[in-house]
Amino acid sequence: MTELLQKIVKKSPWIYRINAGSCNGCDVEMATTALIPRYDVERLGCKYCGSPKHADIVLISGPVTAVVKDKVLRVYDEIPNPKVVVAVGICPISGGVFRDSYAVAGQLDSYIPVDVNVPGCPPRPQAIIDGIAMAIEIWKKKF
Amino acid sequence: MSTFLKVILQNIIKGPSTIKYPFEDSLAPEKLRGKIKHNPDACVACHMCEYVCAGGAIRLQESADKKGVDFVVWHNSCTFCGLCEHYCPTNAIHLTNDYHTAHLQEDKYHYAERTFVMKQKCTRCGEPIIPLSPSTVEKIYGKEGDVKGLSKMCPQCRRKVLWEGGVIKK
Repeated sequence: MTELLQKIVKKSPWIYRINAGSCNGCDVEMATTALIPRYDVERLGCKYCGSPKHADIVLISGPVTAVVKDKVLRVYDEIPNPKVVVAVGICPISGGVFRDSYAVAGQLDSYIPVDVNVPGCPPRPQAIIDGIAMAIEIWKKKF
Repeated sequence: MSTFLKVILQNIIKGPSTIKYPFEDSLAPEKLRGKIKHNPDACVACHMCEYVCAGGAIRLQESADKKGVDFVVWHNSCTFCGLCEHYCPTNAIHLTNDYHTAHLQEDKYHYAERTFVMKQKCTRCGEPIIPLSPSTVEKIYGKEGDVKGLSKMCPQCRRKVLWEGGVIKK
């Protein structure tokens, strides 16, 4: 039974979004990727969920500001293993235009192991779909 | 009721509006600002792109063997704002409409456009300089081109040649 469930669950990863101090540009693009019929990320079998406890793939946007850093780590710890992290936008990847700011704690991959990067300011919905497709492939291998 | 049926019929005829990406390629508009392409033949290494870059993604640095200038754009810091293309005096930088930016973490620090701008020797004194591209030469000297070969000289030699011969008297 467990084996069967594991086989089935590989086809439908659930996605969770964390805003680590983003300007909302990337968040809008991520919402666009999911909600607008033109892009419709649910074709890949994934679904946005409201709780980190249900998530498999986590999309993180924003430059990880000093205030939000601990909260991001707390929410990240609530996500059950195996999990895949996708950094959306240049801010979590390199700090982007906010790099070296006193309010920014640093790159995301110095706190959390990141698997896929999707640079852009904001990235195109197609690029986010690309990133999610890569993340699904990684996630399937993690079982 | 009739409007309702009309909408259904219209939708059946039109088909779904969902694009088939990533299973099929999706076209990008021509003017979309995507990954940067740099043309080292047109570049004069004036550092203007590095100066205006909002994300601090561009770096121009003299190479270790001093034979030219290394040009690097790290796409993971680039905001794709297009300032570099706007301010480039020789149109060496172009933002293509390639938006496929997703990559794995191990490629993070390799995800850059790297080119090498070669230096050439000054035709008069032999000092290495960065030559002008043919299009820039035409822009400066007009259609007849660079008759005196000034574009292949270093600034000092150019000044000397102009002083000796002058531009107007031939």
